[in-house]
Amino acid sequence: MTTRAEIEDLIARIKLRDRDAFSALYSATSAKLFGVCLRVLKNRAEAEEALQDVYVRIWKRADAYSANGYSPMTWLITLARNIAIDRLRARKAPAEDIDSVPDLAASTPTPEAEAVAASDRRRIDACLDELDPERADAVRGAYLDGESYRDLAARHDVPLNTMRTWLRRSLLRLRDCLSR
Amino acid sequence: MTDANGHNEDDIALAGEYVLGLLPADERRAFEARLRDEPRLRVLVVEWDERFAALADEAGEVAPPPALEARIERRLFGARRRRIPWIGATLGGLIAAAAIVALVFFAPVGPADPSHRAEVASEDAELRLAAALVEATGEMQVERLAGAARPGRALELWFIPEGEAPVSLGVLPEAEDYTVTLPEPLRDRLAGAVLAVSDEPPGGSPTGAPTGDVLATGALDTVG
Repeated sequence: MTTRAEIEDLIARIKLRDRDAFSALYSATSAKLFGVCLRVLKNRAEAEEALQDVYVRIWKRADAYSANGYSPMTWLITLARNIAIDRLRARKAPAEDIDSVPDLAASTPTPEAEAVAASDRRRIDACLDELDPERADAVRGAYLDGESYRDLAARHDVPLNTMRTWLRRSLLRLRDCLSR
Repeated sequence: MTDANGHNEDDIALAGEYVLGLLPADERRAFEARLRDEPRLRVLVVEWDERFAALADEAGEVAPPPALEARIERRLFGARRRRIPWIGATLGGLIAAAAIVALVFFAPVGPADPSHRAEVASEDAELRLAAALVEATGEMQVERLAGAARPGRALELWFIPEGEAPVSLGVLPEAEDYTVTLPEPLRDRLAGAVLAVSDEPPGGSPTGAPTGDVLATGALDTVG
């Protein structure tokens, strides 16, 4: 297992154009990031393309990392997920009203961001468990499968606006729970 | 309504929707315009990203095909990476080159001493593979002794740690002999591990787990 400090160190070296560090980061993280791409895209060939884009972006944008307040694995996971979702949306009907997913926010590290870096899987799972199962499922679907409001509304057979109201309420309850 | 940190509910929900990629295009653009000027909003975005990133565990780890790293390096660095960068045009280089010549002439043929071997065969022995692994480097030489994918299908190689889910080592290439690198996290889990080959659609399993029939299996045994 590679620790947070080790991954931070590798990213710092990649910033200095160290190819060995790049290769080491690939060994340590590619299975995790490929898992994320595959989960979103559900297609091996596309996930492989997405993963290539992810590591190309890591090499080119490593200098953006230290300034943005993310823990290193979150930065990598968010990058992989966003690239995979962009690809997913590009594949779907061009009439989709959501054209892209966000770039990573750029901000200076804050005590709040540092504190949440310690939050783990159990915490978010426990808080999702406090939601109605269908709503927790919608949040997971949006994050892990890149589902849009339209996808979610269709899957749960509710009007789009109802889905949005549900989801926004779920987010607020989730945050309440997570900040407890 | 605002919370203890002065965030109002609408912004909390908006930031969450933004991170999930749910905002309609016009709202997303408006939100991004605000992000540039409002550090407090950026904090909300980072917080949601951090919290949701923990969910990525659910996606599981899947080893990408071994050739992918080289493809990425070619995209970034052009030509193939030099594997022996320490040979310079110096006297030291000449000595090193002489040492390599000596190695080439006196080293045993084949990969460095394998630590593990596996015979992966189907019940009717129509599909048979031999694998030799060097634990220290994770390099595994795979030789296809018999059998091929069905027309329009592919054969995919899996590493199955004892009591765990299969991890893909990629689709078997056409070549009869090739080398794959076992990713580092798997090298600790060799005891009791099994190699398997499954029948998959072209390009390999779309889900990260075997989807077709498991055609052949074989235990990875230590050598000697």
